[in-house]
Parts: sequence; structure tokens; C-alpha cells
Amino acid sequence: MTGVQISFFVLAVAGVASALGVIIFRNAVHCALSLILTLLFLALFYLQLGAMFIAIVQILIYAGAIMVLFLFVVTMLASEATDTELADRIPWQRWVAGILGLTLVGTLSYLLFTGTSIDSGAKATAANSLSHVVNTQGNTEAFGQALFHGFVFPFEVTSLLIIVAVLGAMVLVRKA
Amino acid sequence: MPLSAYLIVSAIIFTIGVTGVLIRRNPLIIFMSIELMLNAVNLSFVAISSYLDSADGQMFVFIVLTVAAAEVVVGLAIIVSIFRTRRDIDVDDMNLLRG
Amino acid sequence: MTNLMLLVLLLPLLGFAILGVAGSTFSNRAVLTIAWGACGLAFLFATISFFSMLGTPVAARTSDQVLYTWVASGDFQLSFGLLLDPLSATMLMIVTGVGLLIHIYAAGYMQDDPGFWRFFSYMNFFIFAMVLLVSADNFLFLLIGWGLVGLASFLLIGFWYRRPKAVAAAKKALVINVIGDFGLMIAIFLIFKEYGVLNYNNNTGGNGVFSALNPTSSGTLLQTVIALCLFVACAAKSAQLPLYMWLPDAMEGPTPVSALIHAATMVTAGVYLVARAHPLFELAPTALTIIALIGGLTALFAASIAIFQLDIKRVLAYSTISQLGYMFMAEGVHNYSAGIFHLTTHAYFKALLFLAAGAVIHALDGEQDMRQMGGLRHKLKITFWTFLLAALAISGIPPFSGFWSKDEILSSLLAQATIHNQPLSYVLWGTGILTAGLTAFYMFRLFYGIFMGDYRGSGHSSHAQDDDDEEASHHTAGRLRIHEAPPVMTVPLVILAALSCIGGLVGSFELIGLARWEPFTKFLAPVFADVHTMVTASLGVQWTSTALSVGVGLLGILAAWRLYGRGFQYKENHNPLYQLVLHKYYIDEMLDAAIVQPILWFGRTASRLLEGDLLDAGGRAVAGGLRGTSAALRRLQTGYVRNYALAILIGVVLIILYYAVRG
Repeated sequence: MTGVQISFFVLAVAGVASALGVIIFRNAVHCALSLILTLLFLALFYLQLGAMFIAIVQILIYAGAIMVLFLFVVTMLASEATDTELADRIPWQRWVAGILGLTLVGTLSYLLFTGTSIDSGAKATAANSLSHVVNTQGNTEAFGQALFHGFVFPFEVTSLLIIVAVLGAMVLVRKA
Repeated sequence: MPLSAYLIVSAIIFTIGVTGVLIRRNPLIIFMSIELMLNAVNLSFVAISSYLDSADGQMFVFIVLTVAAAEVVVGLAIIVSIFRTRRDIDVDDMNLLRG
Repeated sequence: MTNLMLLVLLLPLLGFAILGVAGSTFSNRAVLTIAWGACGLAFLFATISFFSMLGTPVAARTSDQVLYTWVASGDFQLSFGLLLDPLSATMLMIVTGVGLLIHIYAAGYMQDDPGFWRFFSYMNFFIFAMVLLVSADNFLFLLIGWGLVGLASFLLIGFWYRRPKAVAAAKKALVINVIGDFGLMIAIFLIFKEYGVLNYNNNTGGNGVFSALNPTSSGTLLQTVIALCLFVACAAKSAQLPLYMWLPDAMEGPTPVSALIHAATMVTAGVYLVARAHPLFELAPTALTIIALIGGLTALFAASIAIFQLDIKRVLAYSTISQLGYMFMAEGVHNYSAGIFHLTTHAYFKALLFLAAGAVIHALDGEQDMRQMGGLRHKLKITFWTFLLAALAISGIPPFSGFWSKDEILSSLLAQATIHNQPLSYVLWGTGILTAGLTAFYMFRLFYGIFMGDYRGSGHSSHAQDDDDEEASHHTAGRLRIHEAPPVMTVPLVILAALSCIGGLVGSFELIGLARWEPFTKFLAPVFADVHTMVTASLGVQWTSTALSVGVGLLGILAAWRLYGRGFQYKENHNPLYQLVLHKYYIDEMLDAAIVQPILWFGRTASRLLEGDLLDAGGRAVAGGLRGTSAALRRLQTGYVRNYALAILIGVVLIILYYAVRG
């Protein structure tokens, strides 16, 4: 077994376990911490896949900014309420959701193993392939090239989206 | 590692997120589950990007990250304002729209 | 020739419109001005047209005034036109003239009625409808007038709409008239199908039915059916067997209405239609025979009922039916002008009889039962004399008007019998003679009952106490003051009495060798010029028939005098035959049992089974099913957001499973 395989399985098990933790822990703070762990493991996955920039951004924005916001809200609102969830009014949903979830995973895995999902002919040619650019210019440069050449317009739209979201949040939480 | 290995991990995490949305009643945790789903999708994007040796997948991850950030901001703001009026945060209490 | 038909038609309509719209705000005087004005001017213009026609050469006496084209579809064209010929001119004179006298009379009779304006607006409408019927120059507008006359009779018979009996009578009249309208409609459909046109004669608006007829092929089934369908309409309007029932019940209307229906309008329509459509009837000898038979049967049947009736208006109603039977008998033996002549004289004396009866009823405060009358000859002098003249006229006593017309019919029947040697015609003639005797008898029974002997009434009428509304308005508490009617009512009586006396002279036949002085027949002759089948009675036949009928009439009067001369006495009589006739042969009861009750039963059953058990239950089942389904489906809407999310997951899983299964 190669090192890549070992690290993959370790990361997979850890990522899935911490993800399960998100939905299993009763305390919302624990859930949030578990989510942070998951995000970190995913960042490691990205590193393993050679997406350095995305991995860094994942840690900075997700684990850093977003999760801090989560924890802030959790501690502000629900610190005392997290452990006092009332009896579930639709308990059967637990079982149905579990069975359906297993079905979903099973079916997807089956499809992924058996199907001819991705056409390997769609691979980029050597000249403009990602690995070529990364090797000649570096990872972040490659990312920047792609972002500001092919994806300028979506990039600008995301800025608009963020402004709207910020304004929306301000309006929503403003004291009437 | 084959692509399908990453995709299966992605599928598992995605399903965990789905199940979390369905079984948890705390809206904050439901949000976290949604983040799980988004990240599972991100993982498949990155994996496919690596597999195809193309940067496009990573672009999508970037955009998804932005959307997730915006969504969390607005979502949390909504939760905060609901909490101000109702003093509890169980989604099952918001069931006035029943038949 | 001056043709003022349009004015004659439109003036009553105008009067009706003004009174109908604004009549309630007018004083009685203003109402009368409009109603009398409309009817009077119509009469005036009809008279002008009539006399200008007299001054025109015989050949040019038909004037078809096409006003506008109503339907132009392909090669079919239908125009609205007014036909002025001797027949319609005669009818117009009767309708507007007698109508005007009744209008005048009604002013006194209806004086205190709260519906005064309504009454006169309906009366004008009635005149309008009848003028339209008479003056239309095609079958379609005839049908319109026909239907409007039925509507007008409905409105007037049910004029006192708070009385259940009046409303029931109005409904009965309308229903039976609609049977007739239906017959007329079928006839018109058949005529259109067969000849493709609806005008009577050729005119600028298109060809006519009568000129499209082919006289060589008479008696075919279709021609007979057309004639019989037309006759169904005539029988309904003119109250012949078996559609006569509405007329006696129509007595529930105010008495002037009865006079109008019986004399000037409505019932004459059937006689008019047979005369107007005689070319069609001439082609169907079988139908004519049936008409003559039904006429004879009706005459005898109604006369026999009239003998024992106690309500004076009912006696008159049955006598009308009986006299109409005479007219149809005449038309059945091709003598159309005799039918119209009898119609004319009958209009005079029957209007007079009704108006006189109305004066009696008026004087007795609404009392109509002969048992409560008697001895009125001193109190009601004018009414007494005019009624006597009318009774003599209807009984066929020379030289009063009824004599001339009735005996022309009877001699025509006898001539038909002798010349063609048909046993059926002998029977008809015999029926006519017998009916003449019965007529004289019941008329004088009525006359003696009302005017002779001593007053038998208790003083105040039970009738008035039953109905505390309109007709009782003269009721002064305690004893009744019997009084002669005001001049506004007696003047029409006197005019009609004069007409009843001398009105027949215009139509005398060549009896007593008066050198064929028969202006009425000659006047109508152009209309019936195409009738060649009519037989002229020889002088001997005429004398025989006349002598017999006058003799029988006198016998009837004598019998009435013997029985009732010293006043009418009512005795209970349990003779079954008497009871049978008294109850009008139980026809109404039989109809009720045979037709009305089964239809009602069918209706109730259908409404219970179809409505209740089938349609309603079906509707309820659908509604219940929907409610159940929605109640079940409603439970899906739990309000829990997580349930909805679960539904999304189910969908996702199903889609993924589909791909997995499809492979």
C-alpha cells in the first residue's frame, strides 16, 4: 500500500467520522467543532489532490471566518438551549431518513463503481493542462490565470452577491 | 487513487449532510449540515479537476465558497431575528403552514 | 285605397308602452285618455281604411303593404308586411270597434280598482296583439301575433293575481294556448318545408304560399297534416273540443276581459285563421270534414253544459264555445264567409251579453250565482232591455243579427247534405238545429233567472266577503244597494244592442226573395274567390232550415218560460244524468286524473329518483370523494419543514434509483 493510499484512507475515515459528529453531537458547540475538523480534513484532501490554493482558502475562509461566525451565533443564541431539545414530534423521520440515506450512498457507490461516469477523453491537453501550468508558473499563478481569464464575469458577480448578502444581513438583524 | 474513491467519500459526506438536515431540529446544526453538503460537492469538484488536469473545477469551488459564505451570513441573520421574537430555535415549532 | 294599417297596429302598442312604463303615475283620467285615445284612433283609422276600401273597385281591394325585409337568407326572403283585404278589414273593424266599446265600458267597471292603469295597458296590448295577428301578411308574423294574444290573455285572466283561482285559470289558458301555438309552429314548419315560403300571397317581399299551391293534387297526407296542425292551433285559441277547457275558467278575469276574449279577440282568431288559410284547407277535404265534425260536437256539447250552469258568466262562456262550433261547422262546409259573418254578429251580441252580465255583477257587488239573483228588471232597466235583445239575437229570432248568420250556416249545412247526399252532413245539420233550440233555452233560462221573479239574494254577497280585495270595493257594510250602472257602462250596452238588432241585415241571404241583397258575402267574396266547392242553398232548402231553426228556437224560449218564467228556482237534483251535465261531464276531473295527476306523479317521481337519487346523490358522492381525498392528502401538509425536505430526498433517491436500475 502506497503512502498516498494510506493517507487517503486515514483522511477518508477521519473526514467521515467528523462529519458524522456534526449530526450526532447534541451540543451545538461540539457540532461546530466537529464541522471545523471536517473542513480541515477536506483541506488536506485538497492538498493531496494538488489544489494548494483551494486548500488554503478552505482553511482561511471556512474554518476561519465562517465557522467563527457560526460559533459566535451558537454561543450567543443557543448555549443554554442546545441540550434541552424537546422530544422529537416526528420520530419516524429519523428511521426513514437513515434508510433513505443508506440507499442513496449505496446507489451512488454502485453507480460510481459500475458506471462509465467520466470520459477520460475530456482530459486537458498537455499545453494548457493544469499540471503543466502549475509546474511552469506555480499553483497560485495557475489559479489566478484561470480565474481572471476565463471566469472574470462570474468572479465579478460573486462580489455583487457578497455585497447583497452583507446588506441583507444588516437589514435583517437591525433592531426595528 | 482512482477518482471514484474521492467521489465515494464525497457521496458519503453529502449523505451525512442530507441526513443531518432531516433529523436535526436546531436550525444552526441544520446549517452546518448544509455546509457539509456544500463541502462534499467541493471535494468532488477538486477531485474531478485533478483528474481532468483542468483548473475549471477549482473555479467552481471558489464560487461555491463565496455562495456558502453569503448564505451563512444571511441565514444566520434570519435565525437571529427569529430568535429575537420566538425565544426558541426548534424548526418543528415553525409549523403554522400545516393542512 | 287608403291603407292605414300601420297606424292601427302601432297606436295600441304605443298606448300599451306609455301606460306600461309610466301608467302608475297617471291619474285615472289620464290613463283613460291614453287608452281610449289609442283604441279610438285605431278604430278611426280602421274605419277610414274600411270605407275607402268600399269605395275601391272590387279587383283592387287587396293591398299588401311590405314595410321592411326581416329575413333575407339565400333565396328565402321574409318581409314584415301588413295585408289589407276585405277579410282583415272586417276583422279589424270588429277588433278595434268592439274593443273600443269594451274599453269605454271598462272605465266604469274597473273604476275603483287599484290596478286601473295596469288593466288598460294590458287591454291596449291585447288589441295590439290581435291587430298584429289579423293584419300580418305571412305565417311567421301571424305566429307572433298568435303567441302575443295568448300572453295578453294570460295577463288579463290573471289580472287579479292575488286570487289563486285567477292565477290557476291564467296558467290553464296559457298552457292550452301553447298547445295550439305548438300546432301552429309545426304547421308553419311543414308549410315552409313543402313550399319554401311563408307569405300568404305574392307581394314585393317574395312569393306566397297560396300561389304555390297545386290544386290538382289535393288530399295528400302532408296537406291533411298541415291543415290539421293549423286546426289544432285554431281549436286551442277558439276553444273547440278537446281544447276548450281554458275558456270557462277564463271567467276568473274581470268581466270586460271576458267580453274582450269572447267577442272581439282571442276566440275569433281560430275562425279567422281557418278563413285566412282556406286555400290550404281546401286542399285537405278530410281535415275540413274533421273541422265540421268537431265544430258540431263542440256546439252541442257546450250547449248541453250551459243548460245547467248556475254561474251566469259560465253559462255565457259555454254559449261562446257553442257558437264558435257553429262557425267551424260553416267553415267545414266551405262556407267561410258565413263563418266570418257569424263571428261578426256573435261579436256584437256576445260582447253585449257579457257587458250586461258585468253590469249585473257590478250592481250585485260581485255576485255571479244565479240563485242569488232575480227580479232585477225593475232596478236595472237598461241592462234588462239590452240583455233581452242580445238573448233574442243569440237565439236566432228574426230579425235580430244572430238569426241571419246562424241560419245562413244551417242552410248551408242542409244544402251540403241534400246536394251531396252525405249522411254526415244531415247529422251536422241536425246537431245545429238541436243546438239552436238548446241555445234559446239556456239563454232564456239565464234571462228569467236574472231579471224575472223576485229577488232571491240575501242582500250582501258571499262572494264579496270571500274576496276582500278589488271587486268588493263597492261593498258598503250591511245591505246592498242595487243600482244601475253609470252611463259610461250603459252607453256601450246600448250601442251594442243596436248592432245586435240590425247588424245582421248586412249579411242576409236571399231569403224572402230579397233579390240577393247580401253585401257582406259579396264584400268578402274576393277573398274566397278560389273556393269552388261551396254549394249554394236553394230557396227551398233555406226556407226549410230557417223555419225549423226558428221554430226550435221559439220552442226553447217557450220551454224556458214554462219552467222559469216566474223566476228561477233551484232544486237539488240527484238524477245522475243531471249531475253529469252539471259537472260538465266531469271532463276537468277526468283530465286531472288522466293527464295532470300522471304528469305530476311522473314529475315528483322523476324529481325524487333522478334529482335526488341519481343526480344529487352523484353530486354528493363526487363531493364526498373529493372531501375524503383532500382530507387524506391534507395530512401530507404537516407544517414540518423537515418533512418537506424528506420529500425532496425521496425524489432524489428515486431518480438515482432510476439511473441505477436503468444501468
